[in-house]
Amino acid sequence: MNALVLIRILIGTVFIVSGTEKLLSPYQNFLYVIQGYQILMPPLDEWEARFFPWIELMLGIFVVLGLWTQWALRGVLVSMTMFLVVVGQAVLRNLPIGECGCFGELISIPLPMILLMDSFLWIYTAYLIIRIERTVRFSLDEYFSKEK
Amino acid sequence: MDKNFQKKKILTILIVFSCVILIYGIKSLKKHFSPYPPSSASARTKGNPRAAHKITEYMDFQCPACAKGAEILHTLLKNNSKEYYLEVKYFPLDMHIHSMRAARYAECAAQQGKFWEVHDLLFSKQPEWRNLLNPEPVFTEILKTAQVNPQKLESCLANPQVNEVIAKNKEEGKTLGIQSTPTYFINGKMIVGTVNLEKELK
Repeated sequence: MNALVLIRILIGTVFIVSGTEKLLSPYQNFLYVIQGYQILMPPLDEWEARFFPWIELMLGIFVVLGLWTQWALRGVLVSMTMFLVVVGQAVLRNLPIGECGCFGELISIPLPMILLMDSFLWIYTAYLIIRIERTVRFSLDEYFSKEK
Repeated sequence: MDKNFQKKKILTILIVFSCVILIYGIKSLKKHFSPYPPSSASARTKGNPRAAHKITEYMDFQCPACAKGAEILHTLLKNNSKEYYLEVKYFPLDMHIHSMRAARYAECAAQQGKFWEVHDLLFSKQPEWRNLLNPEPVFTEILKTAQVNPQKLESCLANPQVNEVIAKNKEEGKTLGIQSTPTYFINGKMIVGTVNLEKELK
């Protein structure tokens, strides 16, 4: 197993944990977090609170299993870009947000720290897409392509 | 190629369906075991107990949004005391270093029938004590204004049951999925934050 596969599984796991935590707790908690960032107007904030955790979970599962890997990683990259924009504007506007709310009550991470972490994850995800032929080792995509 | 594509499509649908069923299954189970906030003798109440609208509030005395929420509910109950019933429960957050102490004062004041006086003063004067290293002088002034008996207060604070009441409220809130304050349940419907509270009350 190469390092790129491990990074792929790690990134996928982060998305699975984050999505599952939000889905298992009442959606109103995530809605409150979204409203704190003051970027989405109703009813978009409510839609995001209800549906985004599902996207996170699905992307995470597909990345870990390596199914539609390239598309799933592109989805992860788009999500990361959105996180960076949302958190970045909150830091710039000095909004009174103590922690990011990314993992519900599981982990509390301050905004500057989450910006740093997301930036690293963004770079790693982009690298996984560039080196896709090595990233898809030990994946369902590889299994199906060998089956041909 | 087509056969593999079909297999991948079927597997994708299976994964998505399994996840949806699993998540909804767990959520339904959780809801089944803790559907609504229970009424308890320890809750501090206001309004008409037979009112059509029952509000249960989980709050933290040091949280600025809770102070705003308290103002909204105060006005609401002042103008519609027959239509609403309010229950207040403690949910002191770990990130607020003085909120537990404030909750203990409020609970002890409640034992002297002065809960609402202390509750209202703690919130209205919150900007004066929220960021202090030692908020004790402001708390003393609040308790004095509310005419809380200092001797009874001292013996109450020494009683471990006070902490237990607060901890029990918080534990109950956690079971209901509360992560932030203020969180309200209006006739069982969960509302987090004052923006959503105002929207719901309109």
